[in-house]
Amino acid sequence: MAVKPMQVVCYLNQFFGQLGGEEKAGVGPQVVDGAVGAARAVQQALGDAGMVVATVICGDNYAAEQAERAVAEMVALVAAARPDLVVAGPAFLAGRYGVACGALCAAVQAALKIPTVTGMHAENPGVELHRRQVYIVQTSAEAARMLDEVKRLVALGTKLARGEAIGAPTAEGYFARGVTRNVVAGASAADRAVAMLLEKLAGRPFASEVPRPAFPPVAAPRLVKTLEGATIALVTDGGLVPKGNPDGIEALNATRYGAYSIEGKAGLDAAQYDNPHRGYDTTWVKQDPHRLVPVDVARELEQSGAIGKLHETVYSTVGVATTLAHSARMGAEIAEKLRAAGVDAVILTST
Amino acid sequence: MRLELCWSDVEEVVAASPTRLVGKRLEVDVEALRALLSADPRLTGIRLDLVHPGERCRIGRVFDVVAPRAKLDGGEDFPGVLGGVAKAGHGRTLALGGVAVVATDQQTASVGTLAVIDMAGPNAALSAFGATHNLVISAWPAPGTERSDYLAAVRLAALKTAVRLAQTAREAEPNRVEIFALPPSPRVPPELAHLPRVAYIFQIHSHQRPTGLDEGILYGDPVRRMLPTIVHPNEVLDGAVLRGFMGRSVTTWATQNHPMIRALYAQHGRTLWFAGVVVTVAQATEPERVRSAFLAAGLVAHTLGADGAVFTKIGGGAPHVDMAQAAAQCEALGVKTTAVVEDMSTDGSAEGMLLFDFPGVDALVNVGSSQELLTLPAMDRVVGADDLAPRLLGETRATYGTLCGAIEQVGSTRVMAEVR
Repeated sequence: MAVKPMQVVCYLNQFFGQLGGEEKAGVGPQVVDGAVGAARAVQQALGDAGMVVATVICGDNYAAEQAERAVAEMVALVAAARPDLVVAGPAFLAGRYGVACGALCAAVQAALKIPTVTGMHAENPGVELHRRQVYIVQTSAEAARMLDEVKRLVALGTKLARGEAIGAPTAEGYFARGVTRNVVAGASAADRAVAMLLEKLAGRPFASEVPRPAFPPVAAPRLVKTLEGATIALVTDGGLVPKGNPDGIEALNATRYGAYSIEGKAGLDAAQYDNPHRGYDTTWVKQDPHRLVPVDVARELEQSGAIGKLHETVYSTVGVATTLAHSARMGAEIAEKLRAAGVDAVILTST
Repeated sequence: MRLELCWSDVEEVVAASPTRLVGKRLEVDVEALRALLSADPRLTGIRLDLVHPGERCRIGRVFDVVAPRAKLDGGEDFPGVLGGVAKAGHGRTLALGGVAVVATDQQTASVGTLAVIDMAGPNAALSAFGATHNLVISAWPAPGTERSDYLAAVRLAALKTAVRLAQTAREAEPNRVEIFALPPSPRVPPELAHLPRVAYIFQIHSHQRPTGLDEGILYGDPVRRMLPTIVHPNEVLDGAVLRGFMGRSVTTWATQNHPMIRALYAQHGRTLWFAGVVVTVAQATEPERVRSAFLAAGLVAHTLGADGAVFTKIGGGAPHVDMAQAAAQCEALGVKTTAVVEDMSTDGSAEGMLLFDFPGVDALVNVGSSQELLTLPAMDRVVGADDLAPRLLGETRATYGTLCGAIEQVGSTRVMAEVR
């Protein structure tokens, strides 16, 4: 059965679109029928499998300085051509161009549900900005071997347009998008672990199967007051909630946190609290919530003047299988509220 | 210590009386076996089903899988849980290949966490149990039976069945005999003294939930206050270690056929010297975790004198960090490590794969993401989960974690998460 030829739209900057050099960087998006400039390499790489029906060209400065407008205008031009695939660039090491390629691809995918592919050098800022949303093929820094590089973009783009399975980044030549996918390895995990250990013991290079997390270091700020004058808040990810869990905090993979008043309370009455946390044995903190959130001792310290004041709101969430993104968001929101309330320091109890 | 596993391969399993092995055909007297299991007053309404590879059948409510084994000489069957407390790992043990005993859990209402086994279709190839003839035990709790007692009874029924089936090979000439012989750890022949000494640190339980009184895990002990201890690898292979009741991506079957111990035995005397096994539990509190980590590392570095160590975990996130803390302690003592982890990300992002970042703990193998979705295709028959049959018969979505045997945290499986 003959495969219907793909309709492809290319995106190029003013230079690769042959409008001119830096003096034409300010021109807005325009569309030309068929393949012009570097898009001819795309047509050559496609051969009979597809046809470049249009080339969208936009000046680098226009795309960089009016990014949102430029992308919206170009998406409209792409939509009019109704292609099966958009090939942007390749942008090599050209920064403004790379960022625009990534932004256009992301927008086309989101707005038009049309697959896209672009290409750039590892140090192009467009890689870090867009590799999570867009397949970006790794290219060299300069356009010396344009056709060879474009062939790799077209190979991956063809698979995307046909809905074929996409292989690993190293096999297909794209920058890892930072998502994980289960695959079947050639050997059992046990055999791989023993083999990896032997490499490590011999001082040979080995390829860990899990990237180490790049948790940004957060330095503990210095307390600028004396403790006697400071307002202290209690915060926990151990799952303390009032009976009935009014905020519906999830038992795992939490996306919510609660703010619970302790105003007028010398301590926490076990009968009024519960704990939905599914990541540890909650028997003992249900029996006595102070094992998790020490309001009793904190009140004593407040009474004796060891601390200035106990903040009257306890913040609580469930910290198990929580995504990094939700953890960071909830942490930032809680920190913002604490700062607005004049809290100087926090005792964070985890489990 | 020397253990011989005397393997009889089974290619066909049929219901017939009496229970016996005829060549490669295992005949099971289902009525007699039901009578044997019905003696436990904690269970009622016992049902036994035979399912076969290639059959368009889905087993539901899977609780644990046990490999048929029976001692021929040299010890007790599943010591401390079924048999009396006695040393395991020596003598001869009968083993049936191609057969597994599947225990189901008919009590829990939390159906989202229940595992399935597919006997045909793409998922059958992902699990060892899609390729075995499976005897499925369904048993209901007798009135008044508590959860922990019920699970203990279900597991005991599976162990009894595993022994009963393997005993049929008593008179048979084994198809092959696997020999596991490891001399005392320090006694290295001079010509092999150059080999790196490698230990395995086996986390056998996680105290994220307390064990029941009858939840025997190490020689029948519920390991409640267990500190790291050294065992001979043969003990693990011979029934001394069983999975706890809240096992996640781990079966007793995988422990009985322990892939890491086999891998280390396979390299022993060739590329490494298998220095021994340290069993640990994941602890519930920080002081316990720190204590356990340095005690385990001390056994590895100072007692076993290992140059390298490989780690596996059990359970979820806390055991994952617990394991890494012990590995970090080993690295601090100069012992090189690799560890087998799950992809812990709950949103499929690579940045969430790992919950730790310790110096030197940089050689990681992964057994995939248990959260990733897969499709369960439609089947003709559902066994072990009558109440869920309407849902489990048709095409439905599930996670890798709910496909029993697709991910074994001890490392017998080939599924891995790749960063894309």
